[in-house]
Amino acid sequence: MKSFEYVITDPVGIHARPAGIIIKEIKKFVSTVMIAKGDKSVDMKRGPLGVMGLKVKQGDTVKLTIEGPDEAEAAATIETFFKENF
Amino acid sequence: MALDYRKCAEEIAANIGGGANVISAAHCATRLRLVIADNSKVNKEVLENIDGVKGMFESNGQLQLIIGTGTVNKVYEEFLSVTGASAASKDDVKAAAASKMPWWKKILKTPGDVFVPILPAIVASGLMMGLVEALAKAIPSFSESGWFGFLDMVANTAFALLPILVAVSSARVFGGNLFLGAVIGMMMVHPALMNAWTVTPTNQPAVWNMGFFTISQVGYQGHVIPVILAVLLMSTVEKWLHKKVPEMIDLFVTPLVTVLVTAFATFVVIGPIFSILENWVLKGAEWLVTSTGGIGAAIMGALYPWTVVMGLHHMYNVIEAGMLSGTLGLNIWMPIASAANFAQFGACLAVAVKCRNAKLKSVALPSSLSASLGITEPAIFGVNFRFMKPFIAGVIGGAAGALFGSLTHLGATTYGVTGIPGLLAINNVPIYCIELIIAAGVAFAITTAIWKEEVPQAVPAAAGAAAAAAAAPAIEVPTTSVIRCANGTVLQPVKGNVIPYDQIPDETFATGTLGVGVGVEPTDELVVAPFDGEISSVADSKHAVGISSNDMELLIHVGVDTVNMNGDGFTCLVNEGDKVVAGQPLIRFSRAKIKAAGYSDTVAVLLTNSDDLEGVEYGAK
Repeated sequence: MKSFEYVITDPVGIHARPAGIIIKEIKKFVSTVMIAKGDKSVDMKRGPLGVMGLKVKQGDTVKLTIEGPDEAEAAATIETFFKENF
Repeated sequence: MALDYRKCAEEIAANIGGGANVISAAHCATRLRLVIADNSKVNKEVLENIDGVKGMFESNGQLQLIIGTGTVNKVYEEFLSVTGASAASKDDVKAAAASKMPWWKKILKTPGDVFVPILPAIVASGLMMGLVEALAKAIPSFSESGWFGFLDMVANTAFALLPILVAVSSARVFGGNLFLGAVIGMMMVHPALMNAWTVTPTNQPAVWNMGFFTISQVGYQGHVIPVILAVLLMSTVEKWLHKKVPEMIDLFVTPLVTVLVTAFATFVVIGPIFSILENWVLKGAEWLVTSTGGIGAAIMGALYPWTVVMGLHHMYNVIEAGMLSGTLGLNIWMPIASAANFAQFGACLAVAVKCRNAKLKSVALPSSLSASLGITEPAIFGVNFRFMKPFIAGVIGGAAGALFGSLTHLGATTYGVTGIPGLLAINNVPIYCIELIIAAGVAFAITTAIWKEEVPQAVPAAAGAAAAAAAAPAIEVPTTSVIRCANGTVLQPVKGNVIPYDQIPDETFATGTLGVGVGVEPTDELVVAPFDGEISSVADSKHAVGISSNDMELLIHVGVDTVNMNGDGFTCLVNEGDKVVAGQPLIRFSRAKIKAAGYSDTVAVLLTNSDDLEGVEYGAK
């Protein structure tokens, strides 16, 4: 299991379109990817609506947990994406 | 259906920005009247759909919620305990609201404020006069009897000495001393002055020669506008003096100077000028009703309900009181008001008869009965004005009835009484009945013909959704579907031209990253639910909602890059977790604002989990 925390710097937070893009990337991996804000956590592979439901805003800390055979590669891809986009 | 008063009050409080946002709260017979500090915190759509709230409108700076007779006081008590707001009288609320009103509205509102409180006196006198005259007509010997003489005297007291009532009421409105106001009123109909009614070209009043000016020794019987203005001046002088005069001598100097100044101003300037102006207004009104072949009356009958909507219809009381206490002695304005009111009854009754929605029926039926007795606000605000078409039908019916009433020379002996109770005060009962039948009949027929109830297709069993469906009778279910799959059908959530998702002017949407679906180039500004389901997410910036049902997850995203508008131009009408029915409004948006911000307003409608669903096809069908 891999996990990392990230503080959102994008002024509009995680919104529909970038959520869609990262989820599309995540679906290429076998691992499950959970995103959590506070004590609420959703499976990112279930789609962008759940992620949007977290209402992640600028300054919020999210925790991503990646688990599966390709978790190392997946975690690296996701972390890069977050740093570049959120 | 027993109403949970506490719950109703809590829901109201929650949707007006809480108790802290309430400046004052009061209630009248049917309405909860609130003055709100910050109107942007008021969630109108939700308020209107609260169980127990039959309608909502803003008028005269007040937010008024129609709740109903016998219920409103209970909701009001709960509301006070919920919000911690202190009880305010209706007058306090009006005063708080008045400070938010534009000046011209204040002026138009004044006659109503003056004449509504004296209504009991006018109604008592007017109805008595109607009955006494009807008896005298039916039994000729009655008019010779002592009974007639005495009852006639009793009946016309309020009209013969009307300036006194008007003066006292005006003093209260303008914040002057009531007794000084009474003195001004009495002065204007003093027995030492010649009665204005007895003035003829050969019988002119004497004058007092004051050296460089004269004062005519005539009273102001039959006048109201000079009285109101005299008392306005009196109150202004009195309040100014109270501030300026040292307290030690205030008690005797202020009343003395106030009365003296007002007396001179009234008899030398205000009285002569404004009694002439008032005669012109009355002559104008009479001309409209009697000399335009009914056209004037028809126009006034059509305009009347609009003034009710603005809460300004009491201004006509000036004309009516003038007609009654003037040489005419007959209120020929009342048939116009009565036709207008009774037409709203007809329109509302048509809604009550035609509608199937139980909640609407339970509002429309009592509202129409109340309108038939001359109290039209519940019918107008609770039903007719909400759907607009019945209101317009009522406007047409009112014009038709007023036209007939004018041509048949109807008139009444009082004001403030219309509809069925008007039978007691009318000069020709059978003709009046015909007028009412015309007014209500036309409105009823037109409403039946042009108004259609908009019913949601299916009412799900879920309690929340059922309540939402019942409370929002105006739901319009889209007829076009845009996405179809094994799990269900997505109806078109906003009116406009449907394009495939790959033509949406944005790479993320067009590549199907967020799933497949369609774009809608909107011609309308309302997004409605495309199926019965649950709101799974609402963007903070209100431009997008997620809705799910039967494993379908749908994103409705209004515009491209509109997240940057931070909610400006968007109103989200639902919350996360809400159960919605197809056609229920979800987001209202401003195309102009999106355009102004430089973005495309194309609404993306995408099945975000389309990869996991079978048989997905898209496009308008």
